[in-house]
Amino acid sequence: MKDKIFGVLQRVGRSFMLPIALLPVAGLLLGIGSSFTNPTTIETYRLGKIIHEGGLLYTILDIMSKTGSAVFDNLALLFAMGVAIGMAKKEKEVAALSGAIAYLIMNTAISALISANGGVEAMAANSTASVLGITTLQMGVFGGIIVGLGVAALHNRFYRIQLPQVISFFGGTRFVPIISAVTYLAVGIAMFYVWPIVQLGISKLGILVLNSGYIGTWIYGIIERALIPFGLHHVFYMPFWQTELGGSALIDGVLVQGAQNIFFAELASKSTEVFSVSATRFMSGKFPFMIFGLPAAAYAIYKTARPEKRKAVGGLLLSAALTSMLTGITEPLEFTFLFVAPFMYGVHCILAGLSYMLMHIFNVGVGMTFSGGLIDLTLFGILQGNAKTHWIWIVITGIVYAFIYFFVFYFMITKLNLKTPGREADAADPKLYRRSDLEKAKASQGESSTDVVSAYILRGLGGKDNLTDLDCCATRLRITVKDPSLVSDPLLKESGASGVIHKGNGVQVIYGPQVSVIKSNLEDFLESPLSDSPEALTDKEPPASPKPAKKSGKSTKILLGAHMNGTIVPLENVEDDVFSQKILGSGAAIEPADGNLYAPCDGTIHSVFDTCHAVNMTSDDGAEILLHIGIDTVKLGGKHFKAHVSGGQKVKKGDLLITFDPEAIRADGYKTTTPLIICNTDDYKNIAVTAKGSAVSAGNEFMEING
Amino acid sequence: MKQFNYVIKDKIGIHARPAGLLTKKAKEFESEVTIECSGKSTSATRLMSVMSMGIKCGDSVTVTVCGADEEKAASELEDFFKNNL
Repeated sequence: MKDKIFGVLQRVGRSFMLPIALLPVAGLLLGIGSSFTNPTTIETYRLGKIIHEGGLLYTILDIMSKTGSAVFDNLALLFAMGVAIGMAKKEKEVAALSGAIAYLIMNTAISALISANGGVEAMAANSTASVLGITTLQMGVFGGIIVGLGVAALHNRFYRIQLPQVISFFGGTRFVPIISAVTYLAVGIAMFYVWPIVQLGISKLGILVLNSGYIGTWIYGIIERALIPFGLHHVFYMPFWQTELGGSALIDGVLVQGAQNIFFAELASKSTEVFSVSATRFMSGKFPFMIFGLPAAAYAIYKTARPEKRKAVGGLLLSAALTSMLTGITEPLEFTFLFVAPFMYGVHCILAGLSYMLMHIFNVGVGMTFSGGLIDLTLFGILQGNAKTHWIWIVITGIVYAFIYFFVFYFMITKLNLKTPGREADAADPKLYRRSDLEKAKASQGESSTDVVSAYILRGLGGKDNLTDLDCCATRLRITVKDPSLVSDPLLKESGASGVIHKGNGVQVIYGPQVSVIKSNLEDFLESPLSDSPEALTDKEPPASPKPAKKSGKSTKILLGAHMNGTIVPLENVEDDVFSQKILGSGAAIEPADGNLYAPCDGTIHSVFDTCHAVNMTSDDGAEILLHIGIDTVKLGGKHFKAHVSGGQKVKKGDLLITFDPEAIRADGYKTTTPLIICNTDDYKNIAVTAKGSAVSAGNEFMEING
Repeated sequence: MKQFNYVIKDKIGIHARPAGLLTKKAKEFESEVTIECSGKSTSATRLMSVMSMGIKCGDSVTVTVCGADEEKAASELEDFFKNNL
């Protein structure tokens, strides 16, 4: 069970990497852009001459800030899709689409309920947000994650669903967006009632913090960090930064409320001697762990990665560490270990909380625009002077923090064998399956019939190594193979295919509308160890490959016996254009002496016409033979004919196929001349009548086919 | 990819003779011609498979043409069906 949870967490963690890889870039854009377009910054450093609204530099910085925040504003959507992609077992693109749809649906449902209940004004302050233009509850990344995880679960459960034939169009992967939409409509409604309770609890926590001094500051820090994954940190810290909850102060005769407002008012005031720590205690704590601690943790993750992986994870870690250090945007780094090692994230929260408390104790008064990176430290700490801010303690504490973070992370990763980036078991590693694994897989799957079908398909396609591409359209599997001569139509038919089409290296196997399910099953099968020996599941020996000689490259010679007693009639003399002009193929006819049609060779009956006047068979050597009794006799509608075989039946040379009444047929005005046609004439070099004389007996030497 | 549907009018369906004519026609084109009827499907160039489908009068067939000359092939095949079947 523990392994299972761990495995799931690892997948979640890995699924985060896709959106996370984008964050450092977005973080730098946002951090630099917003710091230098902040009116307080511009005013304090008298940058108004070079950076002013409408000016080139300002516009560039504004673009940076806005494009950067576009990513952060829509992070939840990125996670809804990214987690769905990462957690979906197959057909990941469908999961991504479903994730986006479910996310929109959920938020829209919430939005509709907000309007119905009196709009944003009726909701608690800071509890709503605009997401993609939808006014909804502030759920942050958490909203995206519950969508991603839920959609992936629905996807994995339903992507192979088979619906009744009438609505089978909506089956398989097409069902996933539908069920996701419906489910998240309900989730959205539920969230409207549940989430405000969570939000209320968190703001209550804020009041507790305020009344407990240094310990309160510590708790504030822990909670702020712990809420990051849920996107609730804004709900939590905003009241401190922006409302009286974070304190009130009279600065230059003006009453200012909220920690950040107090700091910036003091920054703007000429009379400030020391910044109020009672306000900055809700901010300064970020600097030590964001500039020093987390980058050191990143180094620990890098050092513990497997050597061959270090280069790959190094880039991600370095950029994430730089982002944290410069801009104070920590999500890129925190998300790399949050889900693979939640416990380690817990330790990080405690250390972060401690940092807030230490800054409080050391009277550090450095504020920030929105987070604690080097940019803000320089602007609001160093440049203000140590006398006003005591910023030197940030550096001292920070250096200690760097060591603590490095050793704590290094120790935990190695001791607990945490699968941080660069340490995870690589899914692409060629795992060696032993026989016992195979037996186990077989036992657990109970040789399900879907696997048997997949096994037949795989054998029919010439084995796993022969496949280069697998896709499907509305009714058929489309496969590209390396060696088309290894493809066996009978084996593919055995799997339920109604037809096989060859074209160069391309093979199309026709199954009908349920093909998307067959494809998914086949893909699953290809990933299981069973696919290395599909013979194990297909106990039946395949019908002897009827590959015509031309395709296999060997020269063949097929001998056919006479199919009836009678007189040979060259095909050119048959009184029917379709036969005499060899439109159907080469061959020869016999004018029957009696009413029996026999098999000219060993083979398999392909089909018998409903009207029983003709039969198709494939010889064991691959020749496709049509035996057609009489001319235009289809019009008799079965009268005077009796079939003794049926489609799919194996026959030996000389077996009786059809009996008929030649006298009656002739009396009804039809010829009884019976051509034997090689339908796949194109596959052979030469087809010739070898019988001597004109009279033949059934089974005697009649025709030779050379390929 | 071009596709058309056709309901067979010929009283005796696609038996040997029309099947032969159809495969002959289908082979004239570079495109891949597939014929589907009541859940079964086959390449229209494979005579025996076409015959074996046992397509009857009143059956609806779907002909799919896929390839370089699909426009031409589809229109000629549609004419072929109308004139012969």
